[in-house]
Amino acid sequence: MTSKVGTPINAENGGVITEKDLVRMFWRSLPMEFSWHYERQMHMGFEFMVGPALKKIYKDDPEGLKEALHRNLEFFNCTAHVTPFIGGITLAMEEMNRANDDFDASSINAVKAALMGPLSGIGDSLILGTLRVLAVGIGTSLAIKGNILGPILFFLIFNIPTFILRYVCAIKGYELGANYLEKVQASGLMEKFMLAAAILGVMVIGGMTNELVVAKTALKIGSGKSATQIQSVLDGIMPGLLPLAATAIYYKLLQKKTNVILMIIGTAIFGIICAQFGILAA
Amino acid sequence: MMLKAFLLGCIAFLGKCDLATGTNQLQRPIILGPLVGLVLGDLDAGIKIGATLELAFLGSYSVGAFIPPNVIVGGVLGTAFAIVTGKGPAVAFTMAFPIALLAVAIDNIFFSLVRPLLGKVADNYAEKGNVHMVSVIHMATGFLTCTVLFLMVFIGFSVGSDAMKKFVEAIPAVITNGLTIATGLLPGIGFAMLAQMIMNKKVVPFFFLGFVLSAYFKLPVVGIALLGLIIIFTTIDFTGKKTQLATDVVEEDDDDDF
Repeated sequence: MTSKVGTPINAENGGVITEKDLVRMFWRSLPMEFSWHYERQMHMGFEFMVGPALKKIYKDDPEGLKEALHRNLEFFNCTAHVTPFIGGITLAMEEMNRANDDFDASSINAVKAALMGPLSGIGDSLILGTLRVLAVGIGTSLAIKGNILGPILFFLIFNIPTFILRYVCAIKGYELGANYLEKVQASGLMEKFMLAAAILGVMVIGGMTNELVVAKTALKIGSGKSATQIQSVLDGIMPGLLPLAATAIYYKLLQKKTNVILMIIGTAIFGIICAQFGILAA
Repeated sequence: MMLKAFLLGCIAFLGKCDLATGTNQLQRPIILGPLVGLVLGDLDAGIKIGATLELAFLGSYSVGAFIPPNVIVGGVLGTAFAIVTGKGPAVAFTMAFPIALLAVAIDNIFFSLVRPLLGKVADNYAEKGNVHMVSVIHMATGFLTCTVLFLMVFIGFSVGSDAMKKFVEAIPAVITNGLTIATGLLPGIGFAMLAQMIMNKKVVPFFFLGFVLSAYFKLPVVGIALLGLIIIFTTIDFTGKKTQLATDVVEEDDDDDF
């Protein structure tokens, strides 16, 4: 793997893809979701990513290029930030397909389909579940006070790691081919990494539940100056009890597959009822 | 007025370019809010309203094939109307949510009808081996949607802001108070959704650890995250892979114990 930018990485097996091509694929992976639709989802985005490299691989084989373009316009959906990994593997396999006449081209789509699910699982929980929570948590806690650093930090915390990840995915996906996930999984490192991310993620979510979910009751027992504020009683039991309870109810509803939009509308109606009867304070 | 509507439209266009530049969160209210604030001459309000809407729309995020309410159109117009009417963050969500729902209905026409048809056009070019045109259609499909969002915001703001002002002033206090309460609760949906993605039996105690640190010790989120990192590095043995390579014999002994 002592590749230079201009020379094919896998030249000994008839490969033509250079590091420059992979860097180009990294850039072209950015608009992955730009043309998303229900039917085949990110299919055009995927073709946009690998298109120029396919053209290079099938330079002297117009029929092969047509087949490859057709093949890579099939259904595709994955966490956008890790898609260059699948792009890299696809290019490695397309090269094998070009070099060997008895290569089963249908295995390319099989490998893609097999990787989409697990990679989305990892990508969604690491990037959307952990990294996004960190970014939102830190960003909003500053922005809500009017600090311009809030949006800036939000943007940087999310994007610096994801851009590095994208780049690494593009290079490693090609270099290590289809065994990579298997190797990492066999070493148990992925499992530990997922556990670490989950711990960090839920701790931050726990903190944000208290800090950013706002629910205070306006109810009182008795009247006048001797009235006992229910909220201070609740604070005595545990601060943040109502935000925790609200989040727990949402969690249960989601587990029952309740429609999120209905939950939002329900919350609005609940809020108005609470305002009318002074149950919660605005 | 027209200039402001035009600039707000451009913000929505830029927001949708999030998906052209690496799904980088450009479209979120926390980013677009300050930009709207700049256009309308109240940056401070834009930042604060953006943060409020970010939290309220935390659960409105596309995961898998879930199409959330359109946070771009909702966020930009919601923030703009809240600033123009001078009512601040409390009213922003009241405005933003119905607009976001309306806009996603238009989005869905594209996602279920227009874009699949353009996908068919791309198929035709693929049959001819034309890589360039497939790429052009991909990008054109995206920019078409950007333009539609521009129009929604441009028309929405130029038609709506005076009408909106009157409308907002006519809303009874109990509704605005109720929706303020709802805005406080809504981040809970987002946190519940995120928790669902990563929660398992092993990590449940850590959720409560984070909560307790915040509720009792008033530790900010950054502090909780740093503490989380310390816990991770002190309890999880990431170097397991290295010992496995270096001392295979020892590893085998461990396996025998099971």
